[in-house]
Amino acid sequence: MIKAENLYFSYTGAPPHVLNGINLEIGEGEYISVVGENGCGKSTLMRLLLKFLKPTKGIIINQAGRIGYVPQKNDFSNSNFPITVHEVLNSYRRLLKLKDKGVIAKSLEQVGMSDFAGALMGNLSGGQSQKILIARALMGNPGLLILDEPSTGVDIKSQKDIYGFLKKINKESGITIVSVEHNLDAAISNSTLIYHMTNGQGHLCTPIQYANEYLNRKG
Amino acid sequence: MILMLQYGFMQNALFVSVFISILCPCIGIFLVLRRYSMIGDTLSHASLAGITIGLMTNQNPILGAFIFTSICGALIEFLRSYFRKYTDLILTIVLSLSVGTAITIISSGKLKANADSFMFGSILTVTKFDMVMVLILSLISVVTLILLYHQMIYIAYDEETAKIAGVKVKLINYIFSILVAAAISVSVRIVGVLVLSSMIALPVATALQLGKGFKLTLIFSIFFSVIDILLGLFLSYYLNVAPGGFTALISVAVLILVLFGKKLSSSLRALQS
Repeated sequence: MIKAENLYFSYTGAPPHVLNGINLEIGEGEYISVVGENGCGKSTLMRLLLKFLKPTKGIIINQAGRIGYVPQKNDFSNSNFPITVHEVLNSYRRLLKLKDKGVIAKSLEQVGMSDFAGALMGNLSGGQSQKILIARALMGNPGLLILDEPSTGVDIKSQKDIYGFLKKINKESGITIVSVEHNLDAAISNSTLIYHMTNGQGHLCTPIQYANEYLNRKG
Repeated sequence: MILMLQYGFMQNALFVSVFISILCPCIGIFLVLRRYSMIGDTLSHASLAGITIGLMTNQNPILGAFIFTSICGALIEFLRSYFRKYTDLILTIVLSLSVGTAITIISSGKLKANADSFMFGSILTVTKFDMVMVLILSLISVVTLILLYHQMIYIAYDEETAKIAGVKVKLINYIFSILVAAAISVSVRIVGVLVLSSMIALPVATALQLGKGFKLTLIFSIFFSVIDILLGLFLSYYLNVAPGGFTALISVAVLILVLFGKKLSSSLRALQS
C-alpha cells in the first residue's frame, strides 16, 4: 500500500543524509509506530510520506489515497487563533469538498466531543484538542492516518482514550495508521508493527521483538 | 451630520469610507492572524511609490498605487522562499525599494501634482474615477475573499493541513497579496499612507479581545472598523484635521475602551464568584 524504496534525503541535497537508504513496505490495515532517538530521521520520513518534502534519491509509492494528518501539538500551538471547534471541522469539510454537513456531528461523536462544537479551540485541554484534530483527520474516510507524536501535551486519561480509539478504528475500519512515537509504551501496546530507526535507517519488527530489543539495550 | 453631507465631496468621502471600513478588516484579519501586520505598513509605503509614479506619468494615482503595490505584494511572496528564516528582512527590502522610489520621484520635482494629501489622507480629493476604482476593487476583493474563505482560514490556522487537503497555498498567497494591494490602494486616498496599517490591524486587534470564533471576530472587526472610520471622518471634518490621523486615534481609543471593558467585566465576575 505504501512503499519506500532506497530512500535518501538531505536538506541540502548533498551528503550527509538524514535518511540513508530507507526500504519500507506498509501493508493495508497496519498500525505502524515509527520510533527512534531524536534526530534519527523519523519526522523527516513522515514529512516525505506527507509530500511536504521530496526525496533526494529513491521513491515513495502511496496507494492509500487520501491522507488524514494529525500534527504534533508543540508544532501546532496556535492557541490564540480565534476559531471554534465547529469552524475547524466545517472549513476542513469545505476543503475536502464534502457536501454532507452531517460529517461534523459524526466526527465529533466518534471521539466523544459532541458537546464541544461551539468551544474555542484555544480553550480546550491538550487531550481535547488532540481528539478534535483526530476527528478532523478522519473526515472524508482517508485510507491512511499519519500522526506526529499524538501523546505530546496530553494527560494520561486522554492518552488512554486516544490510543484506545486509534486501535479501535484500525481494527474496525481497517484504516492504515502511521504514528511517529516517542511514547514507547503506547507503541508497544497498540501498534501491529514497529519501525525502529537509527541514524537515518530502520527496520520493521513486531512490538514483542521491539520490547525485547529495548529491554536488552537497557539491561 | 446631515448638514455636512450636503457637500458633494463629503458624499464621495462617505461612499469610499464605507467600502474601506468593510474591506480593510476583511484583509486585516488574515494579516494579523498570520503575524503579518507589518506587511500592511510596508505595502502602504509601496502605494506611495505607486502614487508618485501615477502622478509623474499623468495616470490615475490610485491605479498607479494598485499596480505598484500588487508588484511589491507579489515580490514579498516571492522573496519568502529565499529568506525563509528572516521574513522581517523581506519587509525591509521592499520598504527600501518603495520609499526609495517615492522619495527619488518627489525630490526630482517631476511630479505634476502634490503627493502630500496621500501622506496624511484627505476627503477633498476623492474624484468620481476614484469612486469607480474603489467600487470595482472592493467588489472583486470581497467576492474573492468569499470564494477563498475556507482556504484562507486554513492557510492562516494550519498551513500543513491545508496543503494535505489540496489547497494551493502558494497560488492563494499570491492572490491574497493582490487583495492586500487592492485594499491599500482604495484606502490610501482618505486614510493616508502613514496610518493606513492601523486601519488594517486595529479593528481586528479590538475584535480579538472579545474571544470569539473566526466568523464573529471578522464581523466584530468590520463593526469596529465602521465605527472608527465613520467617527474619524465626521469628527475630523468638524475639527478640521486630516481624517486619516484622527481615524487612527479613534481606533486606538476604541481598542483601549474594549480592553478596559474586558478588564472591568472580568473583575466584576471575580467579585461575584
